[in-house]
Amino acid sequence: MSAMATPDKTSTAATAPATPGRGPGRRRNGHSGTPVRGLLPLIALLGLWQLAGSPDSPYYPPPSEWFAATRPLVENGTLLPALGWSALTFLLGLIIATFLGASLGILVGASRVADRALGPGLEFLRVLPAASLVPVAALILGYTMEMKLAIVVLPATWPILLTCRSARRSLSPVLLDVPRTLGLSRKERLTKVVLPAMTRPVLLGIRVSAPLALIIALLVEIVTRINGLGALLGAAQANFESAQVYGLLLIAGVLGYAVNWLVTLLEDVVSARMGTATG
Amino acid sequence: MPVHADQKSAAVPSFTCENLQVTLVGAAGANVILDGIDLTVARGEFVSVLGPSGSGKTTLLRVLGGLQEKSGGTVRSADAPVEGPPADVVTVFQDYSHSLLPWRSVRRNVALGIESKLTKPECAERVAEALTMVGLQESADEYPWRLSGGMQQRVQIARALAMRPSVLLMDEPFGALDAMTKASLQDQLQRVQELTGTTVVFVTHDIEEAVYLSHRVLVLEGRPAHVGLDLAIGLPSPRDQITTKESPEYLALRHRVYEAMGHGKRHA
Repeated sequence: MSAMATPDKTSTAATAPATPGRGPGRRRNGHSGTPVRGLLPLIALLGLWQLAGSPDSPYYPPPSEWFAATRPLVENGTLLPALGWSALTFLLGLIIATFLGASLGILVGASRVADRALGPGLEFLRVLPAASLVPVAALILGYTMEMKLAIVVLPATWPILLTCRSARRSLSPVLLDVPRTLGLSRKERLTKVVLPAMTRPVLLGIRVSAPLALIIALLVEIVTRINGLGALLGAAQANFESAQVYGLLLIAGVLGYAVNWLVTLLEDVVSARMGTATG
Repeated sequence: MPVHADQKSAAVPSFTCENLQVTLVGAAGANVILDGIDLTVARGEFVSVLGPSGSGKTTLLRVLGGLQEKSGGTVRSADAPVEGPPADVVTVFQDYSHSLLPWRSVRRNVALGIESKLTKPECAERVAEALTMVGLQESADEYPWRLSGGMQQRVQIARALAMRPSVLLMDEPFGALDAMTKASLQDQLQRVQELTGTTVVFVTHDIEEAVYLSHRVLVLEGRPAHVGLDLAIGLPSPRDQITTKESPEYLALRHRVYEAMGHGKRHA
């Protein structure tokens, strides 16, 4: 643990809300003790690694080496833009997936005809491994941001689509009769009743989709080396920079942790607002 | 307090059904629920519809409210054929917990039907008026899921009243409430109906409730159902939970309705 105190002060990960491997974190965001306490075994493991690992090991360099190896990426200005690209791919992909999944899910859940017509096609696309689309997407869209997005969107859409479909199906028929008897227009029925009622299922879907979108984003970047954190990871691995690989992995882990934490927070806030405290 | 029913067209009945037939398509195919229903509901009248469970009371109400399509005959609301929910007819559902929007406060739930049709101050005034009628002005800023069942149902009634409808269709509105709450809501409804002159069609399975509240009681019978009994309830208004229910006229009417429901003879 003591050896880590010096090299980590310039780490870009300092902006992340919870940084495993950076001390026991007594003062950190004080939000609730549990997630930080839950990280203790991981921190202990990293500490052990630091103490037991040899700086010359080609496969298992200790954490202090990771920071030393990642530092040049910060200094030559590649890490931050890469993080930005990955975050952008992830966010845009998740947003598109949310719109696509929610609208398709609500449509399919509302109409038996649409369910029959689209069901098998959707089922096929759902079980198609996202990574296997990389060659096709690269062929059609080239090695571009659009290609990355297309591959992220597909798997991230399913959890949202499926939760919306079943939520729309099980929506109380009374809730749909209410706006009709009150003379609400078709548009108002959607915006004032159906969409608010779908907020929680959408968020539930996003909670599953978000980590998935991040995984796929990094995976595509590793495979195609277009840009982003995954591309750096891939490059580091190809150059046998194992300490840098670990460093970048740690950053990816922190990113994933932060994403999950934010989504859970969002869900809690919205749940309270949507009023199901009794249920 | 304004009188909601349109005085000029008092001669035009709120509803007329002629030879109404309704077929529901279920898992086991088409099922004729109602057949040969002839029915007239006058303006300002309080009509209860009784019948054994599964007899099509709710279906009849849904057809009147434009929420369910008929398969034959005619239904007219204020002399216009019913195609979709008529503008001045509002349905109050039994399932109050699913008919209120949990993300809206009581005030905003009550405003749901009028907020886009009126200016803000007009809307606020109507909401306040409707909440006062059901005695919920104190709870305007609460959320519905924090209220008791009886209060939630009053919110739903207030939401309907805020529309200033000429007809209220009520589908077993007090069916899920305890006896005490039920009695107090019955009296509240009675008062509101007298105050506003709103026509009420009230579906219930509670014979006492029907006789106590109504000007007229209809009993559906048979499969598919038709109107078996059409009984005028000539009890003086306002009615009282104790004196009315002890009067010989009330007991005689109650007796007739029980008989029409098949008690003592057979069970549907």
